Amino acid sequence: MKRILFLLFTIYPFSLIAQTTVSGKVTDSKNVPILGANVYLDGTYDGTSTNEKGEFTFKTAETGTQTLVVSFISFETYIKTANVKTLNKLKIKLRDDVNSLDAVVINAGTFEAGEKGKVTVLKPLDVVTTASALGDFVGALQTLPGTAAVAEDGRLFVRGGEAEETQIFIDGARVFTPFTPTTNNIPTRGRYSPFLFKGITFSTGGYSAEYGQALSSVLALSTIDEPDQEKTDISLMTVGLGIGNTQKWKKSSFSINTSYINLAPYNAVFKDRNTWNKPFQSANGEMVFRQKFKDDSMLKLYSAYSYSDFDVIQDDINFDDGLRFALQNRNLYFNASYKNKFGNNWKYETAISYTNDNSNIKVIDDQIKSNENSYHFKAKLRKRFSSRFRLNFGAEYFITNYDESYTPTNNNKFDYGFDNNIFASFVETDIFFSKNLAAKVGVRAENSELLNEFTVSPRASISYKSGKNSQFSLAYGQFYQNPNNEFLRFTQNLKAQNTSHLIANYQSVKQGQIFRIEAYYKDYNSLVKFDNNSTSFNDNQPNFNSTFNNNGFGFAKGIDVFWRQNGKIKNTDYWISYSYLDTERDYRNYPNAAQPNFASKHNLSIVTKHWIEDWKSQIGFSYQFASGRNYTNPNEAGFLNSQTKNFNNLSFNWAYLIDQQKILYFSVNNVLGTKNIFGYNYKNTPNMNGNFERQARIPNADSFFFVGFFWTISDDNKSNQLDNL
Amino acid sequence: MKKLILLFAVIFTVTISAQLKYQNGMKKAFSHWEKGEMVKASQLFERIMKAEPKKWKPAYYAATIEILGSFGLKDEAILKAKLTKAQEFLDVAKSNSENNPEILITQALLNTGYIAFDGQKYGMTLSGKNAQLYAKALVIAPNNPRVIMSNAEWNMGAAKFFGKSTKPYCDEIKKAIKLGKEEKIEEEFYPKFMESRALEVLKQCEK
Repeated sequence: MKRILFLLFTIYPFSLIAQTTVSGKVTDSKNVPILGANVYLDGTYDGTSTNEKGEFTFKTAETGTQTLVVSFISFETYIKTANVKTLNKLKIKLRDDVNSLDAVVINAGTFEAGEKGKVTVLKPLDVVTTASALGDFVGALQTLPGTAAVAEDGRLFVRGGEAEETQIFIDGARVFTPFTPTTNNIPTRGRYSPFLFKGITFSTGGYSAEYGQALSSVLALSTIDEPDQEKTDISLMTVGLGIGNTQKWKKSSFSINTSYINLAPYNAVFKDRNTWNKPFQSANGEMVFRQKFKDDSMLKLYSAYSYSDFDVIQDDINFDDGLRFALQNRNLYFNASYKNKFGNNWKYETAISYTNDNSNIKVIDDQIKSNENSYHFKAKLRKRFSSRFRLNFGAEYFITNYDESYTPTNNNKFDYGFDNNIFASFVETDIFFSKNLAAKVGVRAENSELLNEFTVSPRASISYKSGKNSQFSLAYGQFYQNPNNEFLRFTQNLKAQNTSHLIANYQSVKQGQIFRIEAYYKDYNSLVKFDNNSTSFNDNQPNFNSTFNNNGFGFAKGIDVFWRQNGKIKNTDYWISYSYLDTERDYRNYPNAAQPNFASKHNLSIVTKHWIEDWKSQIGFSYQFASGRNYTNPNEAGFLNSQTKNFNNLSFNWAYLIDQQKILYFSVNNVLGTKNIFGYNYKNTPNMNGNFERQARIPNADSFFFVGFFWTISDDNKSNQLDNL
Repeated sequence: MKKLILLFAVIFTVTISAQLKYQNGMKKAFSHWEKGEMVKASQLFERIMKAEPKKWKPAYYAATIEILGSFGLKDEAILKAKLTKAQEFLDVAKSNSENNPEILITQALLNTGYIAFDGQKYGMTLSGKNAQLYAKALVIAPNNPRVIMSNAEWNMGAAKFFGKSTKPYCDEIKKAIKLGKEEKIEEEFYPKFMESRALEVLKQCEK
């Protein structure tokens, strides 16, 4: 026994002498040697780094089957399991890591904002420090190319498409009524505060098969996974006040945000062109609860409630006493999403959303009441076969129940409504042929129960990296969208509207600068047409007596250019967007194809931000230009036969850091007070000379001032709401 | 009984030799580091980490080297690749040693790497996280000189950004230096306090 022990103690250290040599050469796919790659036997101390020739050699005492690992940054890790004796004079080629930051990105049509995207055109702060945006994230997106300045509306009009052609998603689930309803010439705002979101993907065309029921654009928002810290935010503004609080626990967190807006004091000081019976007021509340489970599983519950009302009389050439419009709206949005990983590189994501939107509208003395209940159920699976091949597929179901009643003065009530249920499924693959060439191919199928129609939409995009900083992309897709509620409430005998997108994109990205140019062609088919037998030139709404068909069509083509540079001029960041749009449509009650009123041929945005150290201030300007928009002048022959003057708007903002947690914020929209005109309303009957008199459609007030004081209370005494502004 | 002795002997020999291997490996990695051979040092720490899946120090040092190497980089692709790798190492360290103040402040240093590269892009989300990390580390180890020092440096950076005096933090640095001198490190390869660097930072602070 003792002898064995002795043997053991003595032999063991000597056994190290029986060594095997492991050697070889490491190169990239083009046979260029890699210097400094880490080469080792997995689970042992034995290994080395490659030299200038890519060569390595080391000795090991290990025997039998071993795993050799070769790893180097921005390459895929190489693994070979074999008998250690055979691991000699190896020729190892490392494959490029296609997920690294310098790999090609499939990006035709898409803008990323936030820190997660590989190429972000807007940074988190921009969404809220852009002068013209007034704290609305939609306002910040309107400085990107492809969007049009439709200042009296406030929603997103993308590449010759109407606002309804854009769909908004939060954590994968659809938002059915994202905007607060307003009336003529009062721009709306997004209902949701920007600072609950960590990333925004804004696609102006050619988007993934995961998204449907959108003809022009998709805006996907994702909420924050984990807030930084517990804090309380207090805002005092000229238009109202807000309070927010965040609580954190070990695996979960809760944020709440509330605000109350009342324009009465503002309207009392700065009179606008309207007579307010009841000034605009709104109460908003949002809550997010997040719970983490093991393996990055996560549950998020998000809900938002908003209430708004106002009662206003606006001047109208056809009504001597003005046109009265009163609105009460309440909106509830709830969204639950859950994601987890399982098995071998599988990911599962599911989301449910519910929207209830209830409006009570008075136009003169007619009353319209509407109630919408909508649901969205979605489940998505993602399998990563390798870093070069991924598969996504899923299914979703949309339910919309819409009821409306119309009570004209001294008349009976009309009730109408519909159920619009849609089932959809999609499948899509991401394929990386190399670090420089990647493609995404997918198909989406939808079945509308209401229209009894089945549609199939193929989508494809391909990107090629042509140089260190530049790449080209192409995208094609078919898109279907059911007609809007404004048609469906009167008839269900319609088909889905259709468009196809063809997009070519070039992008060049260097540190601190981005240039991209994109050309597109959109072909619209099966657009809804109707006649409304109206005698008024200004009335373009369908009604009870209208007849409807799907014979409308149109096209939109153009070029979008984006340029952003940061830091070349000290403490200054700026971006320029230009869009050229050529579009015509024959839809709604148009007698012939024409460029619609909301479209402008040229759109230009310039945004700058400058940080002044000595003043502890950030000063920003944004300038928007749009060429004239069409309107119909009944004194001349033709339809949409005249054009307004150009639109100009220069906005300014100033954020002053009183200290690290207190900010004074000041902004003016349209500093120069430019008199912008959106179009004209004509009198229904001609005057004595046989001419129709007109009234310009103009903003309620030329300029808008905003002063706010924002105070954050947190343990670290450092955070502030600069990111909320 | 004899079998038992044999078993002990075998296990003992194996552990002793494993422990020796670990010590030799770590020593060699530190000697690479001292010679400025950062790639070799980091890769050796990485190999030790893989071979010793229960220890936090190899992963901690592998991460630290990647983080230090990321400061001053101009190419975002390389920065992101390096810091992603560092994050992987740090996650291994965390899973082997929960609520370790040394790892908490290194996580903050990693975040600072991103913020220093592009404050506008990363500052908004990560600066709040750092504040939390330092607060947590100070609760766990209020007298750890590295925690106090790192926290003071972070606060100095913020103060500079807002154009404020860095003076209030000089005392913290002095306190860290004092604590660093008194500190008795018993664990082998435990992170040490860098007094010479602290003295340099103190000079800048008092300017």
